[in-house]
Amino acid sequence: MTGGYKLSYFLQQIINGLSIGSVYALMAVGYSLVYSIMNFSNFAHGGVIMIGAYIGYFCLTMLKVPFFIAFIISALGAGLLAVSMERIVYRPLRKRNAPFLYFIISAMGASIFLENIVIASPIGPTFRTYPPIFSTTPIMLGSVALGRIDLLMFIISAISLAALMYIIEKTKIGLSIRATSYSIKGSTLMGVNVDQVIFIIFIMGGILAGIAGMLFGMKYTVYPQIGNITTKSFIAAVFGGLGSLPGAVFGSILLGIIETMTSGYLSSQYRDLIAFALLIFVLVVKPTGLMGKSTEDKA
Amino acid sequence: MRGKVLSLISVLLIFTLMLSGCGGANSTSNTSEDVIKIGWIGSLTGDQAVWGTCESNTIKMLIEEVNAKGGILGKQVEGVYYDTKGDASEAVNAVKRLISQDKVVAILGPNASGQALAISAVLEQYKVPDIATVATNPKVTVNDDGTVKPYNFRVCFIDPYQGAVAAGYAYDKLGYKNAAILYDVASDYSQGFTEFFEKTFTSKGGTIVAKEGFKEGDVDFRPQLSKIKEANPDVILMPYYYKEVALSSNQARELGITATLIGGDGWPSDQLMTMAKDAIEGSYIVNHLDFNDPEAKPLQDAYKAKYNLPLELNGYMANDAFLLLEAAIKDANSVDPVKITESLTKVSVKGVTGNIQISTEDHNPVGKEAAIVKIESGNYIFQEKYGVK
Repeated sequence: MTGGYKLSYFLQQIINGLSIGSVYALMAVGYSLVYSIMNFSNFAHGGVIMIGAYIGYFCLTMLKVPFFIAFIISALGAGLLAVSMERIVYRPLRKRNAPFLYFIISAMGASIFLENIVIASPIGPTFRTYPPIFSTTPIMLGSVALGRIDLLMFIISAISLAALMYIIEKTKIGLSIRATSYSIKGSTLMGVNVDQVIFIIFIMGGILAGIAGMLFGMKYTVYPQIGNITTKSFIAAVFGGLGSLPGAVFGSILLGIIETMTSGYLSSQYRDLIAFALLIFVLVVKPTGLMGKSTEDKA
Repeated sequence: MRGKVLSLISVLLIFTLMLSGCGGANSTSNTSEDVIKIGWIGSLTGDQAVWGTCESNTIKMLIEEVNAKGGILGKQVEGVYYDTKGDASEAVNAVKRLISQDKVVAILGPNASGQALAISAVLEQYKVPDIATVATNPKVTVNDDGTVKPYNFRVCFIDPYQGAVAAGYAYDKLGYKNAAILYDVASDYSQGFTEFFEKTFTSKGGTIVAKEGFKEGDVDFRPQLSKIKEANPDVILMPYYYKEVALSSNQARELGITATLIGGDGWPSDQLMTMAKDAIEGSYIVNHLDFNDPEAKPLQDAYKAKYNLPLELNGYMANDAFLLLEAAIKDANSVDPVKITESLTKVSVKGVTGNIQISTEDHNPVGKEAAIVKIESGNYIFQEKYGVK
């Protein structure tokens, strides 16, 4: 094809893969978080990410607040949205003990609703561009280019994920989250306030969605169909083991690298073919995903 | 549980069948007595909404002008506009509705090949003509076996032509010998463009050093671009729409690719400039017309005055499609869709994108030259009119 492949080319593709994988990772964790407690895939997560991206965009362009403040507003705004959706959409279903299928369908409905409310609003369907925050000239390591936004994305993803892990592993609320993920009924009997746990799960998922949305917008662009990209991150979460946070991150990075390497060394036409053939293979061999152990050990 | 899922699915299926069954019930023969209804389809939402909105706005404006002058054949004209959401099956539904419910005499649009390809069967079933605006895939007006589709017309030139012009210009005028291609594998538009670029470029003696694909909806092109960078091309063909152009050109520059970029009529958009002004500096575009052409000025000014928006390429094409249809209705001296269809290949109109005379063989406009435009400091600078055989 394109002659001899050099080491720098390989490194460049690794960086490309990590960068794509880290986008998936930030999104995938939100799926896993909700799945670990509620046992359904919250497809509305993509919509929350999209709204987060728009909040960040309007903070920067219309309110002209500093970047850091925009980040916080976007994270909190998305968190609030996620919580209100839980209240309006999922809680009534939960109270009636509706089957899980109803949750999934409501989540899909909510996702389509969010996409269309943006299209119908004055914001409209056109895509929008974040104002330049960082220089787009990449950091050159020899002939390997490392984007500044990519670097920032690695750092912010790592910090957010570490904070999330800390909350879940080390705090009291984390303990009740872990308890609830084993058994909702059992933890209720032990005096855990399940409504509160679910509230916290959704607010944490929403905050991560806001962060992911804003980073996505900065790196690429903002448009109402951003939610569609979360299909890939959902798949990455399943790949890594749905319900396991380290699994979601690992699965996402792996998917990013597999995709990139297929495009880079075989053909970009085979990218999805090979990535998803591998996914199906993993699920056949190990139905809980790469790092999902069993139902007793989620969250 | 499984039983519930299955019954839910079957209920949904029954619904779908019922809905799709209702579509084509009525026949078309009657058109209303004192108004001439003209249909328009295109994207009012989705990625291509900028263009669809501009098209429908232009047609609304033209219809108002025509009506103020007494209409066509002494009848007032009424426009009916349906959103296809950029989706081929929505386009089919919209056409069915326009013909059987609204009883239009002809349809203008859509702006994209994928949708224009999908509607042929319906047009032939009901015998109503359609004039596509910027649907540039060859198959829009011609069947696989080379016969012309009786009710599909267009006012733009076709993809092969854009691809051939881009290749000819890059090789002959710019002197590039090595070209790379990044294209959308899921798009008819992008594939047609690519195929004929390759054909012309290699037949002239050039080499395609890399050819990489992506799928609509992708936002990261760096794996493909890294590969293209290794092949070290002089020029990279980017035959797709402005959103992907903006993302991929920015990413190409981030990776340190300095090759000249060349593209087609999917590029021009104000959005592209805001997002990738620096990355596309010095690029070339093959387009249907030059925005700075003095002949386009009256239409630009009228549109700007009415909508306070810049007129996109689609507006010019919609204008010419409308003029062609108006001339055909007058020539036919009838509002019968079949007679109008016959007249479409007889008339010749002077549009803003050039003279339009539709060929009877393939229903494409005959002998249109393309405009080569270069992007310099955020402006589209007209280079020359250029055509290849």
